[in-house]
Amino acid sequence: MEEFEYLSPANLPQLLQFLSFPGGRVIAGGTDLIPKLRSGTLHISSLIDIGHVEELRFIQEDAEWVRIGAGTTYADVLESPVLARYAPVLIQATRLVASPMARARGTIGGNIGNASPAGDSMPPLLVLDAEATLINPAGQRVLPLEEVVIGPMKTLLAPDEIIHHVSFRKPPASRGFGFEKLGPRQGMTISIATTAAAIELNTNQTISTARIALGAVAPTPLRCKIAEELLLDRKPVEETWKLAVEAALKNMAPIDDVRASQEYRRKVTGVLLERALQSAADLAKRSA
Amino acid sequence: MKSIQVNFMVNGKNHQIVTAPNRTLLSVLREDLKLTGTKEGCGVGECGACAVIMNGEPVNSCLVLVGQANGSTITTIEGLSKNGQPHPLQKAFVEHGAVQCGFCTPGMIIASKALLDKNPDPSDEQIREALAGNICRCTGYTKIVEAVQAAAEESNHA
Amino acid sequence: MREKDTLIGKSILRADAWDKVTGSAKYVADIQTKDMKFGLVLRSTEHHALIREINTVAAKQIPGVTAVITMDDVQGSKYYGPINPDRPILAHDKVRFVGEPVAIIVAETLAAAGAARDAIQVTYETLEPVFDPIQALGPGAPPIHPDGNLLAHFEIEEGDLEKGFEEADLIVEQTFTVPRIYPGYLEPEASLAEWHQDEHLTVWVSSQKPFNDREHISHVLGLPTEKVQVKVATIGGAFGGKEDSNLAILAALAAWKTRCTVKLVNTREESLLAHPKRHPAILTYKAGVKKDGTLTAMKVSSHMDTGAYGSYGIAVSQLHTETLTGPYRVPNVRLDTYLVYTNSPISGAMRGFGAPQSNFGSEGMMDILAAKLGMDPIAFRQKNIWRSGDRNVTRALVNQPESLQKSLDLVKEEIKRLKQIPPAPGMRSGVGFALSVQTMGLGHRVPDDSTNRLEWQPDGKILVRIGAPDLGQGLNTVAAQMTAEALGLPIHQVEVAELDSFVSPDGGVTCASRMTYSVGNSLLMASQKAIAALVDAAAELLRVDHVNIQYENGQLLRLDQPGLDPIPAAEITSRVAEAGKTLTGEATFSFPYGPGTPEHLPLGMPHVKFCMGAQVARVEVDPRLGIVKVQEIVAIHDLGRVINRVNVEGQIEGGVVMGVGFAVTEEMSLKADRHWVNNLTEYLLPTSMDAPPVIKSVLLEYPEESGPFGVKGIGEIPLVPTPAAIVSAVENAVGVRVTSAPIKREDLLAKIG
Repeated sequence: MEEFEYLSPANLPQLLQFLSFPGGRVIAGGTDLIPKLRSGTLHISSLIDIGHVEELRFIQEDAEWVRIGAGTTYADVLESPVLARYAPVLIQATRLVASPMARARGTIGGNIGNASPAGDSMPPLLVLDAEATLINPAGQRVLPLEEVVIGPMKTLLAPDEIIHHVSFRKPPASRGFGFEKLGPRQGMTISIATTAAAIELNTNQTISTARIALGAVAPTPLRCKIAEELLLDRKPVEETWKLAVEAALKNMAPIDDVRASQEYRRKVTGVLLERALQSAADLAKRSA
Repeated sequence: MKSIQVNFMVNGKNHQIVTAPNRTLLSVLREDLKLTGTKEGCGVGECGACAVIMNGEPVNSCLVLVGQANGSTITTIEGLSKNGQPHPLQKAFVEHGAVQCGFCTPGMIIASKALLDKNPDPSDEQIREALAGNICRCTGYTKIVEAVQAAAEESNHA
Repeated sequence: MREKDTLIGKSILRADAWDKVTGSAKYVADIQTKDMKFGLVLRSTEHHALIREINTVAAKQIPGVTAVITMDDVQGSKYYGPINPDRPILAHDKVRFVGEPVAIIVAETLAAAGAARDAIQVTYETLEPVFDPIQALGPGAPPIHPDGNLLAHFEIEEGDLEKGFEEADLIVEQTFTVPRIYPGYLEPEASLAEWHQDEHLTVWVSSQKPFNDREHISHVLGLPTEKVQVKVATIGGAFGGKEDSNLAILAALAAWKTRCTVKLVNTREESLLAHPKRHPAILTYKAGVKKDGTLTAMKVSSHMDTGAYGSYGIAVSQLHTETLTGPYRVPNVRLDTYLVYTNSPISGAMRGFGAPQSNFGSEGMMDILAAKLGMDPIAFRQKNIWRSGDRNVTRALVNQPESLQKSLDLVKEEIKRLKQIPPAPGMRSGVGFALSVQTMGLGHRVPDDSTNRLEWQPDGKILVRIGAPDLGQGLNTVAAQMTAEALGLPIHQVEVAELDSFVSPDGGVTCASRMTYSVGNSLLMASQKAIAALVDAAAELLRVDHVNIQYENGQLLRLDQPGLDPIPAAEITSRVAEAGKTLTGEATFSFPYGPGTPEHLPLGMPHVKFCMGAQVARVEVDPRLGIVKVQEIVAIHDLGRVINRVNVEGQIEGGVVMGVGFAVTEEMSLKADRHWVNNLTEYLLPTSMDAPPVIKSVLLEYPEESGPFGVKGIGEIPLVPTPAAIVSAVENAVGVRVTSAPIKREDLLAKIG
């Protein structure tokens, strides 16, 4: 494996201090980084391990908001009663991430920071209208989550900046969510396409609020705002979903690779989005 | 590359290691502690043969840098039996024909233990979900699932 | 022997299971010796290239490096191969596939070896590669080997093909393709070689053929075989891929050159690239049938891609040719198999050995023909399956073909049952089936002996010096079981020794669905000899004629003095041991090719013993995503006699899931960027969630009289019909006939419409 200096800050102030020196790269769980270090595709002079910084590992709620620390693992997500209540869509997606062993190490912050187009935590967080709080030695800034990932494996984080936590407003109880994932096999699988959706209904049963996010089918995870707007005031039925799918497909730019062709990704994303929207609408109806 | 000092507990015993930071927990367990029960099957977390329990969770030790394990409590396959008594999972795997070549077995048992520690009465589907990160090429998984069910039953009636 | 078999059919627990569940079983990579050095292999990064120079100067100077070894260091045979010796020990003038070994680096640490490997400069002159076997035979194809790209051509011709087609009421043509499949054993290849001061070499192997490894090593190093000791560690699966001596040779070469102990362990990526895989193939069928369903003629042309070197390709393509027509009566045939070199990774032995590929074609044809005739596929097969007295297209007599009819009867019942299961919401359910045939043995005129030895221990136990390795399938367990049965001993009185070429006899290569059969027969004979040896020793010690002594269930009875208590064997064996001797019984079983064996085919053909079976598959297809979920497989297999029930079920269940992988998720292909799929994120082995949640084994016992207790083989056939059964079920679900494996979702989606 590549050689590197290993730094293990014990707390957040120490982490920020290490970040102020150049050449450091943060490692959370390591499930994405370590294979790259092993194969020599990644060269790092120093690795800053955030795994012992307990301040980054939390799931908190107050009256309006839920906050998930960047060091929170997928396993933590699965066990959280707060998230079970306020973000079942994130739990749904998390259950399908890789394997139990990967979920014990992989973190929300790491998944976002790694910025893989196929990152599974992103579409659910996007339909939750999540924000990301970034910190650096000088201070912090808060951005809509969809602005953080700017390209495949690229974020807008400055070299001395890390994700501190993501947060989202607790959605109204009447909002329903859906999530669908397709991978090349049933178990322990990367995503070929993921879709997340949120639907809320008016008293006359037409759509009052819609959220759509796609994963693995573009250089970054996508919020499909145009498609979302098309849904407003329409009935939550198949024909409506098809409109959304048509619009969403325009945003897509899927790749061709050994797992699936572009065309297949387009086709299945449409199906998965329909299903996610329908699930979301069914849950919205039930709570109306 | 500067060496680092790492302290952890493995199978109830404290260890202090001074070593290069670019080593994995897997390699330290196998080479330094001579605990060769944990296997390397792929080196990238795609087969589960290297699974150990770290701080109560199953992890692929090939994807844990030794520094990341500092301060942890680790259980390997060698640490499963208590006072010379095999763990119900070990017994069940033997009795139900869930062991053929045996290379996946340590990791498979570790992942099964992690499941039963959290969910003592899993359905077959839950067992398969919990073991989806452990590849077996010999058994087809059928008898592994049976063994985990049997171990769960035995533990629940104990 | 006891009057009634009491151990046969029992699910005796594996003796090695405890070591495996506690982590104490030692695989090669677990062996650590003092002063052990680490070896790494520098492998070709070119598909096809001339080597202009290998510059190891800088590499040798890296601190911690003991040696950098190239072909120049090989003093014995420079080429090897299990059938045709076309493979260089280390590439020296040319490389023919990505992953081909070029040099070995030995160092104090893996890190130093890695640095040295990176410092070796190989100057390649790239040559045009070819990856398709049909293209490789075409004009202008780059020659991979001096004699061209066609390694072998096997043909079978019977009857009058033209006349057969004339008699047909319907003629159908179809091409099938099957993928490159990786054996996928969990334990990557590994070998550890120790050079001893008395100039002998000990090589630890994870291998199906330790004695062949020994032979290759001794030729390569120019050492007499008595100086090469091969020891078999616990093996973490093999499935044919470890019938390749490459890593053992490289480790031995490294140890011999450096006079040290060297351990070589492949990474998973190296294993995927560099060790043998299943032959991909393109099969073109043309078949003629009468209106009533009788097959009249079949012409098959098959192109098998053997990759850069021959490995077991010749034997695989022979068995493949023999099974192209399936377990059916086809009076007029012309079968041609072309074995072709390409610059792909090596294809060689892999579980099924050509039969899975032919089954995919032949069962596909059966379904297609039945459908075109408007005939029920079971009735169609019934019309054409082998019957008593029938011969294969090779003219070899078929053993126990009656099992086929029984299998079909059971298939009918299972289909009825499975068709009643409703699919999950949004899914479409389908049920299908396939028959199968697998051959046993290495083929006519290929030496196929298994020698095994039994040794009475001082405490009266029996030690089985088995001569063929247990790959994890449980061979040691059934060997002990059969021996215990033959000697009338409780199972715990029989132990199986580790395989050590200095001590163990040559039991043959573990392969070809004949281990229980051959090893079992050898042990039954050896048991008689061991009994005789014990009786003779007792007679000598008791000073009576041996006719007065009878062996029974671990005891000796005095026939001349029936009132006396039986003498436990331990009484005799302990006294013999005190005198410094051991009582043994050793026997060699030769796979039987009787006087009626057809003689008209090339060496290696025909195979003369067959195993048969059938599988029924229930699948659910998501018609909008093209996903195929295999929900249940019923595996109906005739194995003559069940020795160890749980072992047999284990073989079947594992084989079925391997078949599911072949059908649904596995393919080692060349990607668009001209890199091979070489990791487990892209080569998708079935996980517990991909395996069918229900696998039901139905065991038939139509005894084979030449087999110990009537046994036939089961090691390979469980994966043979699975893909075709799944394809058949998919057609039943969504009306699409798939003719290539793995089933591609996009193709399915496109055709479901």
